[in-house]
Amino acid sequence: MSSSSAINPEVVRKVAELARLSLPEEDLPRWAGQLARIVGYIDQLKQIPEEAFASPASAEATPVRQDVPVPGHGEEALVANAPRLSHGFGVVPRVVGPGGQG
Amino acid sequence: MSSLGVVETAADVAAGRRTAVSAVEDALSRVSRHEEQVRAFLEITGEQALAEARVVDARVKAGETLPLGGVALAVKDNMWVEGRQATCASKILEGFRPPGDGTVAARLRKAGAVFLGRANMDEFAMGSSTENSSSHVTRNPWDLERVPGGSSGGSAAAVAARFVPGGFGSDTGGSIRQPAACCGVVGFKPTYGRVSRYGLVAFASSLDQIGPLTRSVADAARLYSVIAGRDPMDSTTSARVVGSPETALSRGVSGMRIGFLQEAEVEGLDPAVAADLDRARAIFRDAGASVTTVSVPRARVAIAIYYVVASAEASSNLARFDGVRYGPRASEADLASLYVATRTEGFGPEVKRRILLGTFALASGYYEAYYGAAMRARQLLSDDFSRAFQGVDVIVCPSIPAPAFRVGEKTDDPLTMYLSDIFTVPASLAGLPAISVPSALTAEGLPLGIQVLGPRFGEDAVFAAARAFEAGTEFPDALPPAVA
Repeated sequence: MSSSSAINPEVVRKVAELARLSLPEEDLPRWAGQLARIVGYIDQLKQIPEEAFASPASAEATPVRQDVPVPGHGEEALVANAPRLSHGFGVVPRVVGPGGQG
Repeated sequence: MSSLGVVETAADVAAGRRTAVSAVEDALSRVSRHEEQVRAFLEITGEQALAEARVVDARVKAGETLPLGGVALAVKDNMWVEGRQATCASKILEGFRPPGDGTVAARLRKAGAVFLGRANMDEFAMGSSTENSSSHVTRNPWDLERVPGGSSGGSAAAVAARFVPGGFGSDTGGSIRQPAACCGVVGFKPTYGRVSRYGLVAFASSLDQIGPLTRSVADAARLYSVIAGRDPMDSTTSARVVGSPETALSRGVSGMRIGFLQEAEVEGLDPAVAADLDRARAIFRDAGASVTTVSVPRARVAIAIYYVVASAEASSNLARFDGVRYGPRASEADLASLYVATRTEGFGPEVKRRILLGTFALASGYYEAYYGAAMRARQLLSDDFSRAFQGVDVIVCPSIPAPAFRVGEKTDDPLTMYLSDIFTVPASLAGLPAISVPSALTAEGLPLGIQVLGPRFGEDAVFAAARAFEAGTEFPDALPPAVA
């Protein structure tokens, strides 16, 4: 099974950043090796001829829910699991103004 | 001590031969003797289960007829059950308490079932061995050195060890059927759209489906008929009539056209699995079916398709776990590091691997080559199945390529682990109903499973064929050695 050339430590660093994950610099080659092997296996999809892709989608349409109000779990239940709360709202570090990062 | 099945327990409770409380006490007593070895549960909620059983007994006394009265269940930790945590065996959801029952739990509760405990699983249902749980590894009751399969390994082990008559899992690429086969129990994945996912923590939304694990096909049919059907809380559920799975059990396979999957019979197939397929052919023939071979050519690339589609959807679904609305928070320095530190500390290595893979497949510059190609190949696979079902009523193939492997054997090699699902992923991608039925023990005493796949919404045919196969096998009724 071949490894994919699309994956290298630089690509893994960029993808981790998009995924909001932090990977230690020294671990990047190991992650890249594992992912390259998986993506190398996935690359067999490229061997399916393009003309085979003409078939129409056959999925059933998803019906929409009727637009009528129904009782829910209530605001209290929705915020009950939040790690920090103030006046019923979730609290996060300051994002604007002095000390913020814009 | 007796360890009755789902249908028997409900019948006994309905007829007043035993109480729901005594059924739960029996289950707790079995758990107390063997759970230390098997470790099927993340949490045993005995007091709550007994309180629920008392409610069931009062309902029976008041004259209600309950299809699941007093049936104790092991429920995978990604499903909402009122009053219990639902953590997906992940540190990022530690302590999470859902606002109430999900639709499946609500329907089970209404039917008289009782929730004995939260079953262990691979973190966020990502894995084939239950080794990716952030808590502990569950052991296979047939051999404690081996994995129970996954990701619903806790539910499968709890049923195999006879702690409970039934369990529930979720199946995204085989997570009900593969552990069921590894543990010698029945595992059923309904058609995509048959069972509501309201209250199931999402992994890959175009694939996820909830289903039962039991010791018999009849028990699976009972549990399935309680949870199936349209739910306004999940728009992907179908309004089609559910059918009569329990009536279908006695239909037999006389005159049924059964196609054995050609692509499963590859060179290098485990000889025990190949012999199992031969026995299955004979069983179906003896039962009066017309047995042929069918080809689903793109089944060969199913794993490749699956790891793009499932990982892409997971990377999107799991973006919500960021330390703001639920779970522990790892940093308060600024918003960006709150997200990054919480996710980096909260997710285990396999979940990170899938998020990275999915983010890669959806990233600008790679999207068309990976996600686009996988989606088109998925459509071709579905078309292959549609063609195959023009000539046969159900398709048969193995559930697992080899019996349960040893704990630790595949943890350093993600791709080899992914290939454990080679026979279960095709039905997932095409949204088909599929059941794994215990078929035989290998020379080493490890279970194997045979899988029956039906066309979309063809559950009745699947149950009819599965029951006929079950009746023809000689899978032992004996207790697994670890709990005997």
